[in-house]
Amino acid sequence: MLGAIGSFLVTGAMISAIYALIAIGFTMIFGVGGVLNLAHGGLIMLGAYGFLVVTSSSTVEFLTIPPIAGLAVAIAVGAVASYGLYVGLVEYIEDNPVITFLATLVVALILAELAVVAFSSSPRGLVNLAPGSSGGSLGIRVTNIEIVAFVVSWVAIGLLWYYVTRTDEGRSILATSMSQRGAQLTGVDLPSIKARTWLIAGGLAGLAGVFIGTLQQTSPVMWLDPLALAFIIVVIGGIGSIKGSIVAAYLIGYLETLTVTLLGSGFRGTFSLVVLVIVLLVMPQGLYGREWVHE
Amino acid sequence: MSFFELDGLTKRFGGLVAVDALSMSVDRGEIVGLIGPNGSGKSTVFNCTMGRYTVSDGSIHFDGREITDAKTHEVVEHGLARVSQESNPIDAMSVGANIKLFTLPNSVTSLRGGASEKEIFRYAARLDLENKLHEQPDELPHADVRRLEVAKALATEPELLLLDEPFAGMNQQEIDGLVEKFEELRDEGVTMIVVDHNMGGLMRLVDRVVVIHNGTKIAAGDPEEIAENEQVRRAYLGSSEAM
Amino acid sequence: MSSDTQTGGPLESVADGYNDRFGHLFGELNGPQFALLIGSLAVLLVAPVWTSLLGVGGLLRTLALASIWAILAMAWDIQSGYTGYISFGHAVLSGGAAYTTAMLVAHVNPDLPFLVTAPISVLAALVIGLVIAVPSLRLRGPYFSLVTFVAGLIFYQLTYAFSGYTGGELGQRVGRIEFELAGAQVTTFDPVTRYYVMLVPMLVIAVALLYVARSNVGMILIAIRENEEAVAAAGIDTTKFKIWSFVLSSIPMGVGGVLLAHFYGTVNPLNFLLVDRSIEIIAMAVVGGMSSILGPIGGAFLVIVLREEVLGVFGVTGRWVALWTVVLLVLVFARDGLFRKLWHVLGDWGRIDGGDDE
Repeated sequence: MLGAIGSFLVTGAMISAIYALIAIGFTMIFGVGGVLNLAHGGLIMLGAYGFLVVTSSSTVEFLTIPPIAGLAVAIAVGAVASYGLYVGLVEYIEDNPVITFLATLVVALILAELAVVAFSSSPRGLVNLAPGSSGGSLGIRVTNIEIVAFVVSWVAIGLLWYYVTRTDEGRSILATSMSQRGAQLTGVDLPSIKARTWLIAGGLAGLAGVFIGTLQQTSPVMWLDPLALAFIIVVIGGIGSIKGSIVAAYLIGYLETLTVTLLGSGFRGTFSLVVLVIVLLVMPQGLYGREWVHE
Repeated sequence: MSFFELDGLTKRFGGLVAVDALSMSVDRGEIVGLIGPNGSGKSTVFNCTMGRYTVSDGSIHFDGREITDAKTHEVVEHGLARVSQESNPIDAMSVGANIKLFTLPNSVTSLRGGASEKEIFRYAARLDLENKLHEQPDELPHADVRRLEVAKALATEPELLLLDEPFAGMNQQEIDGLVEKFEELRDEGVTMIVVDHNMGGLMRLVDRVVVIHNGTKIAAGDPEEIAENEQVRRAYLGSSEAM
Repeated sequence: MSSDTQTGGPLESVADGYNDRFGHLFGELNGPQFALLIGSLAVLLVAPVWTSLLGVGGLLRTLALASIWAILAMAWDIQSGYTGYISFGHAVLSGGAAYTTAMLVAHVNPDLPFLVTAPISVLAALVIGLVIAVPSLRLRGPYFSLVTFVAGLIFYQLTYAFSGYTGGELGQRVGRIEFELAGAQVTTFDPVTRYYVMLVPMLVIAVALLYVARSNVGMILIAIRENEEAVAAAGIDTTKFKIWSFVLSSIPMGVGGVLLAHFYGTVNPLNFLLVDRSIEIIAMAVVGGMSSILGPIGGAFLVIVLREEVLGVFGVTGRWVALWTVVLLVLVFARDGLFRKLWHVLGDWGRIDGGDDE
């Protein structure tokens, strides 16, 4: 019994860290540019497939690198794709929120179909960064890859937090998110800040993609669930708030783990979606609204 | 009970009290001026009346009916209309269409109701806009946009008209023209409450003045009395506005 | 702007005749625009003739399918296009109707006649529409869109979660449409009959929605989109009208869902509730031209014909890549819609002399 509770607490913590990773990129883009990037899930998928291509001998035979390096590739793919998406498309249409909503969604669909063309629609597994499991002696079931995902996610979040609170470049992102007009008046270069935000968000998405692809599945439909998750977490946590995203990610992560433990994995996403609808109807500003909480 | 009555109206925004237990009444057929320095709460009173803000305390009655918590469209249906401080035309529609919208009944099954073209022409003509029916609001000069706001409000056939800075941004000639229009309306039986900074236009038009400062009524009386009133002068001078 | 150039003199007279009689109901047309509408209508009405003459029998099936999607696109437009409250989960409505038919047939009585299952299914769509609309319409734009998007995801997942009832991934079979009309048996077994069974409702719905859209109700919906506050100041209950737009939308969505169910013969999550389906509906309406009712019809036919007939050269999956890319290009470069552009071009092309009936 204790082992089961322990497993639950640990698994919940692990998965929540990844969820936080997914949500932060999404909320940053919305906070800074006012854009709901519905291709965010697609970037996660790109990260996963990028990792697959370079680490699995089944894709490109001569190009197989160690999984750790694959992680870097995934981050790079996500970052570059995201940056490209902004400067190549979104920058020109962000004046119209509806068109942007639609266009990013269509981009996600294009990416999904391209994935089917390139990799077929069968789900793939990713080379495990850290095979094996630990904690058996404590009666807790946790795999090493979950631990690695947890640690890496928090390192990434920590690095991001440092960046946006201690470096000038990063703080300009924070400032813009609080007030676009205000930031503009103090001379920040708005397009370049937005582009940088998309770059970072894409990198985070690519990283998350590897973990999701390993812990769950890598397939052309894997863009939808993380996107829905990002929505849920960001709305509950408050749009634009990094801290809110982390708190909400843990709420949702534990809620999902609980749902899966009690009801089975068929209901995994549904409950969280229902929670989202309830939150939207009752408390649309979320936990932390648009305010950034200072340390 | 008089035609329109505010009874202890209070509106708080968090810690700030914008309107503080304000009571005033307006009789049918009167034109009452509501004046006060910037930030004294005049527009807030109108916003509460029209249902844009929820009232914190007190009540609002119109023609015997309580409208304190009524929604905007309900208030308009009861016979009040407001001309806002900021013009708010529907830019995507022509002047004529703007006016027509304000004549439409609040019914999902009424597909062809509302005013006829002739009636719309008349609403426009009242404000000298009859030649501009096919123009877009963003093509109009400022004074015409203000006149369109009045035409829209009149198209709802109100019994009480709230005018929030109707003369704003107009030259003397335009003001005189508008004052004439309002006097015609009064002759037709429309009751009015006017808020404005332009004392010249306002004082000529109104029967009686209510002065508010920091959300409370500090004076009331006919225009000449108010112009002489020491307390009122101080309120204005204190907020660096000349009467 | 006065000029004596008139193209197609007799055409203009016919258009004027139409304008005099119907102009105040549906809006006025000039010659070329009138020609486009009448021409398209004629082509559609006699499609079984020319498709068989040209030996492109498969095209008839595609046109039938396009008619159904035209219904869905128009239904989306009267709600989302007109009020500006963009729904991203509209497939829930048509899917709900389709699944109602499927579940009635599978669990209640396999012999239920079409004339019984269809109205119940349309009613189901209306109920679902109200359930979603009433709580959500008080939310601001992006949040409303989010709720509709999520509602779509929830319904999709529910079909898998309750696969005992819904048939899960494989879905459930529904039969053909069969009913009696004026003594004759109408059945969709015959491709020509099937075509008309899909086309006629589309035309009826088009006329009905056009009538509403060009009426005061349409004007109010547009005004809500442009400046909701001003509409309230006009004494109009905007919430009531927003909900009404959902009612006006849900009913045709239900009709479309029922027709689609019988067209495919099977109701499954992939063809009816997947988020892609909601996006397709929006794409058709936007590609054609939002907020016009006619635009979505053009958009639906364009997208379906492209998808089924033209883009197949790229392969089964490749055609989707091609299709979505085309949609993306239209979104970026012609966001007001291709059909709308065409309409304006025709409008400029025709009579330009200063109106003399104003």
